[in-house]
Amino acid sequence: MNAPQTVMAINLVVNGVQVAREVEVRTLLSTFLRDDLGLTGTHVACEHGVCGSCTILVDSQSVRSCLLLAVQVDGTNVETVEGLGSLGSLSPLQDAMWREHGLQCGFCTPGILMSIEGEVRSGASAEAICDEVLSGHLCRCTGYQNIRTAIHAYFATKDES
Amino acid sequence: MTASIDAHRPSLVGSSVRRVNDPRLLTGSGRFVDDISLPGTLHAFILRSTVAHGRLISFESGESPADIVLGPDDIAAATEPLPFVWIAPDQQHLHLPMGDTTVRYVGQPLGITVARTRAEAEDAAELVEMTIDQFPGVADSLAALEADAPLLYPDHGSNLAVDFHIGDDPDVLEAAMAAAPIIVSRRLRIPRIAPIPLETRGVLADWNVGTETLTVWMSTQTPHHVRDQLAHVLRLRIDQVRIISGDVGGGFGAKEHLYPDEVMVCLASIRLGVPVKWVEDRNEHFTATCHARDAVHDARLAMTQDGVFLAIHTKVTGNLGAHFSNVGTGPFRVSGLMLPGPYRVVNAGAKISGVFTNTTPTGAYRGFGMQEAAWVRERLVDEAARELGVDPLELRLRNVISSEELPHLTPTFQEYDSGDYARSLTMVRDRVRAHVPIVDPNPRIRRGIGFATHVEFTGLGPSVMQEIVGFRLGGYETAVVRMEPDGSVFVSSGVMGMGQGIETTLAQLAADCLGVGMDRVSVHLGDTAQAPYSAAGSIASRSMTVGGGAVVTAANTLREKILRIAAHRLEASAQDLVITEGRVCIKGDSSVGISLEELAEYSWLGWKLPEGETPDLEVKFVHDPSNISYPYATHAAAVAVDLDTGQVQIERYWVAHDSGVVVNPRIVDGQIAGGVAQGLGIALFEKVLYEENGQPNSTTFLDYLIPLASDVPDIVMDHFETPAPHIPGGMKGVGEGGTIVAPVAIGNAIAAAVPEIAGLILETPLSPGRLWELLRIGGLINE
Amino acid sequence: MRPGAFRYVSAISLDEVLQNLSEFGDESTLLAGGQSLIPLMNLRLARPEVLIDLNRIPGLAGIDIVGDELRIGAMTRAVDVVTNSTVAGSLPALSRATAFIGHPQIRNRTTIGGNISHADPSSELPGVLAALEGSVTLRSIRGERIVGWNDFIVSTFTNSREPDEMVVDVRFPLRTGWTFAYDEVAPRHGDYPLAGICAGVQIVDGVVREMRIVAVGVSDRPVVLSEVAQASVGRELDETLIKELSKIGREELHANGDAHASSEYRKWLIGTLITRILGNFALESR
Repeated sequence: MNAPQTVMAINLVVNGVQVAREVEVRTLLSTFLRDDLGLTGTHVACEHGVCGSCTILVDSQSVRSCLLLAVQVDGTNVETVEGLGSLGSLSPLQDAMWREHGLQCGFCTPGILMSIEGEVRSGASAEAICDEVLSGHLCRCTGYQNIRTAIHAYFATKDES
Repeated sequence: MTASIDAHRPSLVGSSVRRVNDPRLLTGSGRFVDDISLPGTLHAFILRSTVAHGRLISFESGESPADIVLGPDDIAAATEPLPFVWIAPDQQHLHLPMGDTTVRYVGQPLGITVARTRAEAEDAAELVEMTIDQFPGVADSLAALEADAPLLYPDHGSNLAVDFHIGDDPDVLEAAMAAAPIIVSRRLRIPRIAPIPLETRGVLADWNVGTETLTVWMSTQTPHHVRDQLAHVLRLRIDQVRIISGDVGGGFGAKEHLYPDEVMVCLASIRLGVPVKWVEDRNEHFTATCHARDAVHDARLAMTQDGVFLAIHTKVTGNLGAHFSNVGTGPFRVSGLMLPGPYRVVNAGAKISGVFTNTTPTGAYRGFGMQEAAWVRERLVDEAARELGVDPLELRLRNVISSEELPHLTPTFQEYDSGDYARSLTMVRDRVRAHVPIVDPNPRIRRGIGFATHVEFTGLGPSVMQEIVGFRLGGYETAVVRMEPDGSVFVSSGVMGMGQGIETTLAQLAADCLGVGMDRVSVHLGDTAQAPYSAAGSIASRSMTVGGGAVVTAANTLREKILRIAAHRLEASAQDLVITEGRVCIKGDSSVGISLEELAEYSWLGWKLPEGETPDLEVKFVHDPSNISYPYATHAAAVAVDLDTGQVQIERYWVAHDSGVVVNPRIVDGQIAGGVAQGLGIALFEKVLYEENGQPNSTTFLDYLIPLASDVPDIVMDHFETPAPHIPGGMKGVGEGGTIVAPVAIGNAIAAAVPEIAGLILETPLSPGRLWELLRIGGLINE
Repeated sequence: MRPGAFRYVSAISLDEVLQNLSEFGDESTLLAGGQSLIPLMNLRLARPEVLIDLNRIPGLAGIDIVGDELRIGAMTRAVDVVTNSTVAGSLPALSRATAFIGHPQIRNRTTIGGNISHADPSSELPGVLAALEGSVTLRSIRGERIVGWNDFIVSTFTNSREPDEMVVDVRFPLRTGWTFAYDEVAPRHGDYPLAGICAGVQIVDGVVREMRIVAVGVSDRPVVLSEVAQASVGRELDETLIKELSKIGREELHANGDAHASSEYRKWLIGTLITRILGNFALESR
């Protein structure tokens, strides 16, 4: 039987890159990504799991990174907004959000992008994403209308290609 | 419009170009305060009062392992009090003492711990022992005025902080009321709201021991104002302090001044000589960041038997919280100033009472006093229509100021500028008429449509007017527009981007004036070492009107200089030249011309210049507008009310608005949609809750509900554009209108859906539980 | 908002958990989905000494029909219950109730055992368990016991698990000839309900033979509305009866009031939900 630890070594893949680190067991995954790995695209806006800003993918499932400990993702495949696309080469979803003005301050945006990405992979429809998935995020700027427009526009381009 | 645009070149103004900063935000490359790390940064935690009213009798850091612990005595000794900004007539308190040991609200900052990580700073804070001698507290403004209420400032003798009139002389107003055939009178309430930007406040302070300079990365709407205040409070020279505001994750008014906890973080950095970071957590945000609204209005609308409005008055009891915020009674005062709205009234005025309570101070939030004014006025108008038995929209059309009557001076000294208020009403009316009502077989689902209209105060404001009203901020904005030696264009302004897209729209204005593409323009905001001085920053929907107006004039002035230089080079007359596609050419003959790159290169060399022309291609222009800008809008909401649950669904929503010249329609639509969503939150969900004694009950997103995607419908928007006559470029502000009108449009729609309770709809939020109580009083809950 | 210090063990077998529980007892806290526990830890309202993570133990997740019970492993995620065809086929009320928990991003982590054990009076699943008269299986190094919902769920955030025990599965009886349904009223999509109802009915020849009906979100634990159920027996489920039962439900219930909903309002909602759910039963039975 393993004795309880206060510090542990973890190995995981983050945005396709193998990462090995030693972490305090109380470190939240959101803190680990931001402070230890410098992946500051994952934002923290409530730390009680409601706002959705810190949503990332763990093994392709959307989860709140403020409600997971870093030690819990040992051995998993983690994806953050930094893995979606880059400045010169936005992903089709990012591009749809840009085109349709689906963001204003942009603080909630990375979490929304990751949620949509996860649900698209699991085969959700545009309607289901607009109704169900988007309601798992707080956006204080946009009134959500243009995010819905962007989701539909993204599905339209996806279906074409 | 004064912006000159070449006839054969599509204008960027009026074009929905994509926002320039989005790719960064979409890829996680934003630079919000918490994204910035400096080597050796330590992390802070703010110790706060958990008691609503009392005296801190001991603060013992004891065995705390923190790098530093500062308590009230340390803080008070090292700082000056923080000056308030908008001072009411006869306001006694002119600044906030730092390190006050009298505790007046839960969340009041008392001290700071600094450690290697945030978690360790929290650990250290747990070891600090604070003993607070507890007093009785009071949270409600009316209760605080009762004779036996606990006093927040015993020396002051009462919780009534200030009391004053605005508008017509009270005697004149009372005479008008006494002579009026009909008076509609109601007590209406607008509850306490929390602004809730998704990014909380945050500071990274870096004291450089060698240069004795303080660089502070901060999430703020007003970098220069914060710099000036911070230097004063920390006893530094202003030139020792630099504020850098990077990406700001929403402001909405909550980030428009310096907070005492932010000073403590800077002080800790100075003491330690290392960078110190503090990011407010959501839990503390709910009590540490200013709330807003919280006003009781005893309001009257006087009219003739024919429904011609004669006078409007309100007595505002405004909850200031534990002390004046930087804007103090400002929001309550603006409620009075904007109470007449778009209607012709002979007399108008307000009595403002500001009250101290054991709650978080109330300050600025999107709609600043005007949302309250709209709730009061537009509910009274609907109630007046009900009493008269006339259509509420027709009653509005009967009383609205016509376009021929503009400019129009109200009894509250607002000089409305331009527009056609009736047109916004008829546009929405026509949209609503075309709407096919939903037929529901269930008689317990009621449907109704409500209207509301308003005129708004945007673009603060002439500096002379700021002086008259005791608001210690200059009302001007400055733009620097520079063509660099390679022909690229640098634009800087003191306004701040916080999601409203100002980086993009300022670039559109400059690019249009200078005849270059968007890709040749970069906009630089937020760094006080670079941006021109701005006293007021991005508040009061002023960035585009005051700041944009400055950019238009600066860019046009630069354009004139470029044309003069080009005329010299081309041996032509400047009037015969145009700038197109990065070249200055002869009108009608693009084969003769000079590229901007070449022109700029030689200009900065000081070569080939006309006599008397300086080499620099840089213009700095200070724009102090001659008046406020007054946009206006009409909104309509179609709601379904479930009588069996009290739930309200917004099924359709229409807006017709005029915010002057629209620079980027998509951004303007976004501002309206987002504003309406916040207004919907006020209408249906949002209220900061306190126990009677001042213990807060809304400290997480489980208790304070803001709208979700499933709550907000798509909005149908109609625009029309009447330029602001006194603003270069003709723009009016658009940031706040959606929030101002939406709550009362929804309230009126619920009243229309359930006429039995129309007279009871006096207060938001109309949450299911609250609405159900009204339905019960209205006799709709029986069986 | 960062958790205080604790010690952590990621158990890789049930035995390891039980050994740890036996050793650390009251000092230990079990980490299942963490969607309620970690917010409390971030707020430092929960301060575990030893956190025992259950997420890596094989065999604790799964959905099976065993005899006349639907057995759901403690570490089964809410998302898997919502999308599972066995649940949809045998107990659709559970699929529906589970879909009301939070949002998809939360349901990806929430576990059935964790949700039931948390004993949140506003949570949907304890209400479903109560309506079905289900039970949980508790295991410790001392052995195993099966505890009915009524003994397990004590009050707000309190269950009857001994410090050395853990929930290994949750058992929902499948009642032949019964139809169950769940519905609720919440302020917004995904919020905790202001009031919810899980009801089941057995109708034979158009007449109610038996009914189970439970209210959630109204008290410190699920409330069985036995007077409503009794009054329905032997009657035809028509509009008159539904109206009567809705009234009995409102009268019978002692509902808590808070800032979001008064006691009276909650009682009214319960009546509304009774009308809606039983109305659907009546339609389906025709």
